[in-house]
Amino acid sequence: MVAAISRKRFLTGWTAFIILFFLFFVILPTIYILSYAFTEWGSIEALLEDQGRMDLIWGAIGASFQIAGIVTVIDIVTGLPMAWMLVRKDFRGKNLLDTLIDMPLAVPTAALGFSSAMFFAITDESLQAPSFALGTIGSPYLLIILLHVVFSYPYMVRSLSAILVQIDQTYETAGRTLGASPLTAARTITLPLFRAGLVTGIILCFARSLSETGGTMIALATMANARGFATGPTLIGEWKDALDSQPDLAAPLAFVSILLILLSLALLVVIKLVVMRVHLPMGRIWPRPERLLSRGVFPKVKDGLAVLFLVVFVLVPSFFIFTYVGSVEPTAFDWAPFIRSLLYSFLIAGVVTGIDIALGVPLALYIAKNRSGRLAGALDVLVNVPLIVPTAALGYSLGVFWASQEIVPTHDVLLIVLAHVAFTYPLVVRNVAGAVEEVDPAYEETARTLGARPVQAFRRVLYPMVKSSILAGAIMAFTRSLGETGATQAVVANAQTAPVYIVDLINLETAAGYYSAGLACIMLIVISFLFMLALRYVTNRRAR
Amino acid sequence: MPEVRLEGLGKRYGNLTAVNNVHLTVHDGEYVTVLGPSGCGKTTLIRMIAGIIEPTEGKVYIDGRDMAGVPIEDRDIGYVFQNIALFPHLTVKDNVSYGPRARALPPEEQLRVSRRFLELVRLLDRMGMFPDELCGGEQQKAALARALASGSRLLLLDEPLSALDSRVRVDLRYELRRLAKELGLTTIHVTHDQEEAQSVSDRIVLMRAGAIVETGTPEELYARPKHIFTANFIGETNLLEGWVVEIRDGISVIELRNGGKVEVHQTDHSVGDAVVISVRPEFMYPADEGMRAVVRGITYMGTYWRVKAETEDDEEVDFDMATLDGNLLTIGKDVYLAVNPKAAVLYPRPEDGVEEAIRLE
Repeated sequence: MVAAISRKRFLTGWTAFIILFFLFFVILPTIYILSYAFTEWGSIEALLEDQGRMDLIWGAIGASFQIAGIVTVIDIVTGLPMAWMLVRKDFRGKNLLDTLIDMPLAVPTAALGFSSAMFFAITDESLQAPSFALGTIGSPYLLIILLHVVFSYPYMVRSLSAILVQIDQTYETAGRTLGASPLTAARTITLPLFRAGLVTGIILCFARSLSETGGTMIALATMANARGFATGPTLIGEWKDALDSQPDLAAPLAFVSILLILLSLALLVVIKLVVMRVHLPMGRIWPRPERLLSRGVFPKVKDGLAVLFLVVFVLVPSFFIFTYVGSVEPTAFDWAPFIRSLLYSFLIAGVVTGIDIALGVPLALYIAKNRSGRLAGALDVLVNVPLIVPTAALGYSLGVFWASQEIVPTHDVLLIVLAHVAFTYPLVVRNVAGAVEEVDPAYEETARTLGARPVQAFRRVLYPMVKSSILAGAIMAFTRSLGETGATQAVVANAQTAPVYIVDLINLETAAGYYSAGLACIMLIVISFLFMLALRYVTNRRAR
Repeated sequence: MPEVRLEGLGKRYGNLTAVNNVHLTVHDGEYVTVLGPSGCGKTTLIRMIAGIIEPTEGKVYIDGRDMAGVPIEDRDIGYVFQNIALFPHLTVKDNVSYGPRARALPPEEQLRVSRRFLELVRLLDRMGMFPDELCGGEQQKAALARALASGSRLLLLDEPLSALDSRVRVDLRYELRRLAKELGLTTIHVTHDQEEAQSVSDRIVLMRAGAIVETGTPEELYARPKHIFTANFIGETNLLEGWVVEIRDGISVIELRNGGKVEVHQTDHSVGDAVVISVRPEFMYPADEGMRAVVRGITYMGTYWRVKAETEDDEEVDFDMATLDGNLLTIGKDVYLAVNPKAAVLYPRPEDGVEEAIRLE
């Protein structure tokens, strides 16, 4: 009796601890900066008068949102035919295509930024870009759009195909038995069913583009004459760097962060409403032209273009760096500082992933099992907040939050870890909560009727079923932490993580600096590739 | 007018043969069921007729036209799916008018057609509802109306009733046949349920392991099946092994393995041939002499008693007793069983044994 009561108390305490951790270490620091508008309204008012700074801010924020919007549209238009092909068609080389799409995911965004900029953009003489590089893009705006397409395209294709797989193909077949051509059936039946899932893909893509910092900064540094162009996150990085020498930047930094946070959250709501409410003019059917477009050469041309896009705008820019390093004169490369920065990045990613799993899985279980409860429902919505908020704004907000208190000591590494936990924690929670909800509670109930205690039922029955989702969440958290620049820079301006180190090399604007940056990027690619392979091996073996 | 002709139709997946060399003609206005155990290739067959699956061999002719290379939407068929497949984002009315809409008929014509067919399946009052607001039987009726509204005279039904409750299933069967006959449709109905096949069809095509075993009217297949597999799959039967010992006056006398003798009105075997007798439980009854058996179980079936008995050589035999006579028997009692000589059917004993011949795959 006593034991039972204390166990129950322990459980309540533990649940409370997990929820409090989430609220005070993840949510509150993420949006803390919003309070700045109330406590320091005077300095923001002064900023509003400062026309020069305001132009910079609106320019950067406008660019960020425009780029994210354009990138999302490009991703949907080009990703949909690709997803369709992967899910609904059988052809030779399908597995190869499937693998190729995932390849850019293994390249850290820092390396992607360098590699893509080198391929697309007009670059500095001393970079000695290979002669077969495209080298024609002179507009930083356009370059960043192309770069963001490179890294978000695989995500879009993956989320679109994930939805497509779940839509029963019988619906389309049924439409065709009723006389609809394949194009008509896809347009009037499958696409409307697609809508709810499409929201997820759009939000994911939009948020990723809005948040991206490291690759964007490196691409801008690589490009010749990109000075003066900034996105919201790179502006935060720049100003935070200069904050020590120019303390009056505190107000503009806070203002940019507030704008990014509020606008991205507002956008989340708007996207959900717009995509679900707007009725596209899908009603009419044009039997003859649609039939024509479903036959003969048209589908082949469409598929061919989809593959061409993948190769030219995603794969080649991702791996262009290899041709560069192979083609220029080698110069001496000092490995020591790079290795040091790499170890630093790995250490942080490792600790962050550990914390995410230890404290994220219990929250996921709580949310999944109390879905109908008001608290769990609210937590479920809140979990998305750090995913939507651009990480640079999140990082700055978090830095200000921890600096404003005196209980927890603010050491650089600790701050970076806390910042990374804030935006990777939701990845673990969402993955695991989703998987737990899929599992029929009858399994655990059966185990309980067979005499297993709750903990045993979890360990022996539920855990094996959701293990792969925990691992998937861990992999996502680890790679996101490893590749993150925006949040890191926004909490600690001169943190020597690997991406920051590469930016510094490129900013030297010397042949040796570029070459070293290239080598460092390749090293990063190789390491994260090996890492992914190892994890895949471990997951496969465990799954068996 | 739609007549469906299959010539040497086959489908192979690598080494696996799903359908093998099927020849079949379904006449205009005929209601044919394709019956068989699961995995016998019947669904593959109907999908090849619809064009959902491309055959690897042979040809499909609809209305005399070779369908090779003709896509689904140009075959002019109505198809009802086992999983119903009503479009979840459209109302019942919009589902039914999808066919006319896909052919770009004017909106008022679309409405007229959907009303007509919803009325035919008696769902007019459900017009504005979404599919998930209907119960299973209503959903399948709506799906049927949708298939009919496409204007096709050829109706393909792929296990249309197997997802439904048993009572609804029985009601809908008659509805299907009524509509098909009323509208003069050619219907091909795939099912694994032999009762369903018997109650709706003009003709049954029985399949097993990718090939047709036998084709005939429900009565033919029940009363005088040409194949021992048919006798066992359609209805219930007792299969008794023995030898022909005497032939006289249109009667063969068979000696069973346990020594009992049975007379059968059929003389196409010679004396000494090894045979199998198929007798349905309702044509076997207790008598003063005949095959000796011990009663092992009695079950009340409503309109009759089903008795399970065991012969002297451990074979199980089922027979039926009228409801009023059920209490004459008790478990453990010895009975002598006689066979109605007109209702028993003789088969040559299969080389691989009876078990192999009636196996479902």
